[in-house]
Amino acid sequence: MDIKPGSRWKSAVCTAEMVVVRAPQSAGELQCGGVAVLEHSAPQSPSGEPHEGHSNGVMIGKRYIDEESGIEVLGAKAGAGSLAFDGRPLNLKEAKPLPASD
Amino acid sequence: MTQVMKGIRVLEVAQFTFVPAAGGVLSDWGADVIKIEHPVRGDAQRGIKLLQNWAVNPQRSALMQHPNRGKRSVGIDVSTEEGQKLIYELAASCDVFLTNYLPAQRQKLKIDLEHIRAANPDIIYARGSAFGDKGPEREKGGFDSTAFWARGGSAIMVTPKELEGPLPQPGPAYGDTIGGMNLAGGITAALFHRERTGEATEVDVSLLSSGIWATACSVDVSMDLGESPFVNAMPGGGVPHSTNPFIGVFRTSDDGYINLTVLSPGPYIEDVFTHLNMPEMAKDERFSTAETIMENTAEAFELVKNAFRSNTFDYWTEKLKTMRGQWAAYQSPADVGNDEQVLANDMIFDVETADGGKPLRLVANPVQFNHEGVKNSRAPEASEHTELLLMELGIDWDRIEELKAKGAIA
Repeated sequence: MDIKPGSRWKSAVCTAEMVVVRAPQSAGELQCGGVAVLEHSAPQSPSGEPHEGHSNGVMIGKRYIDEESGIEVLGAKAGAGSLAFDGRPLNLKEAKPLPASD
Repeated sequence: MTQVMKGIRVLEVAQFTFVPAAGGVLSDWGADVIKIEHPVRGDAQRGIKLLQNWAVNPQRSALMQHPNRGKRSVGIDVSTEEGQKLIYELAASCDVFLTNYLPAQRQKLKIDLEHIRAANPDIIYARGSAFGDKGPEREKGGFDSTAFWARGGSAIMVTPKELEGPLPQPGPAYGDTIGGMNLAGGITAALFHRERTGEATEVDVSLLSSGIWATACSVDVSMDLGESPFVNAMPGGGVPHSTNPFIGVFRTSDDGYINLTVLSPGPYIEDVFTHLNMPEMAKDERFSTAETIMENTAEAFELVKNAFRSNTFDYWTEKLKTMRGQWAAYQSPADVGNDEQVLANDMIFDVETADGGKPLRLVANPVQFNHEGVKNSRAPEASEHTELLLMELGIDWDRIEELKAKGAIA
């Protein structure tokens, strides 16, 4: 799996699509729903469903990171499966604004 | 919607609602709006967790969607030298620079007029402030509840004297949204001027200038008189207007409210009385001409008031559909999304949400071109487009990596 920055991928088991915005420092497998992702241009359509424990979902426009490998992935289409790198779940990287109220 | 701003590029370094709403309007009109957010904290607007007592769902936040629809978000730390360099590179390709940063911050972050114009001498520099970019309050920040609503007379005028204190602004971002539209209008005029003459201007709109524009009629009268003659009556009193029985707020049998504002009652006497199920009153000599009905206002007002009391809100809103005299039902914000007229005029559009759930419905900007409703996309997530946009600028992945490592972008 050649995970270059800017490369586009899709889940094999749900509707999620994603773009890699930071390459991993070490080789490994990007997964969604517990299964290796497919190249975005691959002819296969997703089938089946996310494996148990791998269904926290991918959200559009959100960033997901694995600190160990440094990979950073951007959600391009929402889906039910959750992202992982070599079996390690990716964490949601969210803005941390100062709390405010109106 | 006809993309009247297609090809115009806006660089927005702004937070909260007022100034971002100007970018949102330009985006509705087809401009490419690049929103710069802090790479860690994002727009401070994202920190608003509570609106009055309602907990904001960050995945379905109308508060973010409303001012930021259609934009791309790029996470740049403008306090770093590398971040500033990126801002200048972006500014070089933009037509408009849009900011609400205070003067001291603009200087400190090196995004003030001279810095941005050095990168692009033809850029329109648009500032939105609380109190204006001149005078003793230039350095002071503010929100619409302070600079738009408390200042400028709105709160004092809307509040009946019997109440103990001034009423708050109606709902969140009321003055911000009006002010944002003013700023979008100013930027548009500046673009037109630049197109004709080649001169790039600065543009200033403040919440204060927007607030006193909203109250301008009353302010102008009051400046001439030396005092304000405008007083709102306490609701529910049923007191008639002094000379016009077809002006007032009328309660229905189920406590809904209908507003009648027929400024010239004469031509509408038969129309109004017929719709209120008492056509015979139009022939009664007390009410049959413009002069007599205005002389007998108190009696006519009782008839109108009792007519509305005799039936339900739904009955009247259906019944009055054919009345020519000017009227409206009082709506809550929750009623607006189902309003037949609002929908028929394409004043609402849909955007997708981050969680892929049911679309969010948003109010479109108030201007329409060629009768076409707005088609725009959702607001970006924080820093969503950083890498994609920098690549568009021709920056390669090695430099992107380097900038990330330095914390200049996210």
